[in-house]
Amino acid sequence: MSRFSPLVPYALVLPGFLLAAFIVLWPLVQLGIISVSEVNRFGQLRGFAGLANFAAILADPEFTAALWRTLIWTVGIVFGALLLSFPVAMILHRDFYGRGLARVIIMLPWAISLTMTAIVWRWALNGESGMLNSALRALGVLDANVPWLAQATTAFPVQILIGILVTIPFTVTIFLGGLSAIPEELYEAATLEGATPFQAFREITLPLMRPFLNIAIVLNTIYVFNSFPIIWATTQGGPANSTDILVTYLYKLGFAYGKLGEASALSLVMFALLLLFTLVYVYLTTREDRHVA
Amino acid sequence: MSPKMKRTLVAWLLLSPLVVTTLFPFAVMLITALKPRTEVLTPSWVPSRLAWENFAEMWEATGFGRALGNSVYVALLSTLIAIAVSVPFAYALDRFRFAGRTVLHRFLLVTQMLSPIVLVIGLFRIAAAFGLVDSVNAVVLVYGAFNIAFTVWMLQSYFATIPKDLEEAAWLEGASRGRALLRVFLPLALPAITVTAIFSFINAWNEFVIALTMLRRQESYTLPIQIFSLVAGRYTVEWHHVMAASLVATIPVAIVFAWLQRYLVRGLGAGAVK
Repeated sequence: MSRFSPLVPYALVLPGFLLAAFIVLWPLVQLGIISVSEVNRFGQLRGFAGLANFAAILADPEFTAALWRTLIWTVGIVFGALLLSFPVAMILHRDFYGRGLARVIIMLPWAISLTMTAIVWRWALNGESGMLNSALRALGVLDANVPWLAQATTAFPVQILIGILVTIPFTVTIFLGGLSAIPEELYEAATLEGATPFQAFREITLPLMRPFLNIAIVLNTIYVFNSFPIIWATTQGGPANSTDILVTYLYKLGFAYGKLGEASALSLVMFALLLLFTLVYVYLTTREDRHVA
Repeated sequence: MSPKMKRTLVAWLLLSPLVVTTLFPFAVMLITALKPRTEVLTPSWVPSRLAWENFAEMWEATGFGRALGNSVYVALLSTLIAIAVSVPFAYALDRFRFAGRTVLHRFLLVTQMLSPIVLVIGLFRIAAAFGLVDSVNAVVLVYGAFNIAFTVWMLQSYFATIPKDLEEAAWLEGASRGRALLRVFLPLALPAITVTAIFSFINAWNEFVIALTMLRRQESYTLPIQIFSLVAGRYTVEWHHVMAASLVATIPVAIVFAWLQRYLVRGLGAGAVK
């Protein structure tokens, strides 16, 4: 290796690093500047505002409501997807007829843009003409049409269910990777020693799947926290802002209400939250490394 | 009944609720797209006839061709950029031990965490300052940059499976490192690069929030924005056109994805825990 300059790896990494840094760090600097400035509707900076934008955000009841809803949204989808994905991955891991087809079907939502998925559901959930209502009525589940997305009580739960459905493919993928990394001999040995399938699951599968569970939780938390299209394309946060989460509230602040200063401050608050999730992730992955070593 | 047969029955039985829920929106999309105009608002499951003409109408009425062109351009070019910078990046991370390697890993992680939505106001401001609002090329650059973390991650976990011995043998025979890279390593890495490129393409193809913010005029809309604009803020929505457009925009990508999804199990499964 000595005949290669020590600078070679840096040269190889440089273009990608510069591009990613440019697109990520520069906007971040911009956000920092706008968030402490007074900004008019047209986006012109009108001088230093201190922490006024942050204070305005924190005092806004819409912010508190959206924050609270973001918590329900994130926890609901992450754990809903987790609870469904684990058994699904266990089933898909074992050989059966048509397994390839089953995998393809379950992975399918991943291939479709969330925007399209949300638009199709918006149509399927339509109160008068939606095919979900007609299917549920035909099955005798419903007596009358339900305007799923037009009323606050059903809109948000339905959006969470759609969120769970589109999160399952990624989660199952992570779990399948984990299951295929568990050596088959462990189960054989356990069976020889008289372990029941349930014991094998508790003593072998669960502990060895721990790192994959942790990572699925942290990565999904980040993706779901950031997820914009499902809510935007079904209700745009309505009716009456009753389905706004932080990302949709941020978008409204910035591009509908023209409050760029407050929107930038909110972006930074969200950035801080995301950084916290990232630190948890880094902590979990490096801890697993030490376990393996 | 053989044990496998029994397992098959149980497996499909347990999976059936999820399978039905997953396929439901596709059924809605397909059926609505093929309904004659007059039946669209009746929520029946069987159209009286298959209205194939919807697709041709939709193509004209929704400006589908132009949006398709924009989407192909953006997805293709941003993928080329992401791959061009990610292959050397991943190669360096996998084959060299150098100071700052861990920092770079963390840096990629942070770019992955920061979804475009958190940065969108800063990005928009920069684009506005340079007169790049409505510029498809600015969107290309942003997509390319945001895909780097994912592509480096995938590539690195595949590069790790390519034995070093082959390259080392080539060096011993007097090949320069660059030559060994080109003649020995890259041909072996080509399948992995192709798969990663396709996933990067799909990511760009499906992206919503950056396009929604940066592309303000219809001429520069990509498919997701074009289709969204047919639904959002309208009194009457031509749902058969919307569903036909969604179907055409979705099916090719879904087929390619279905064919390649098993590579994700390997790439992400290995990459996520490392």
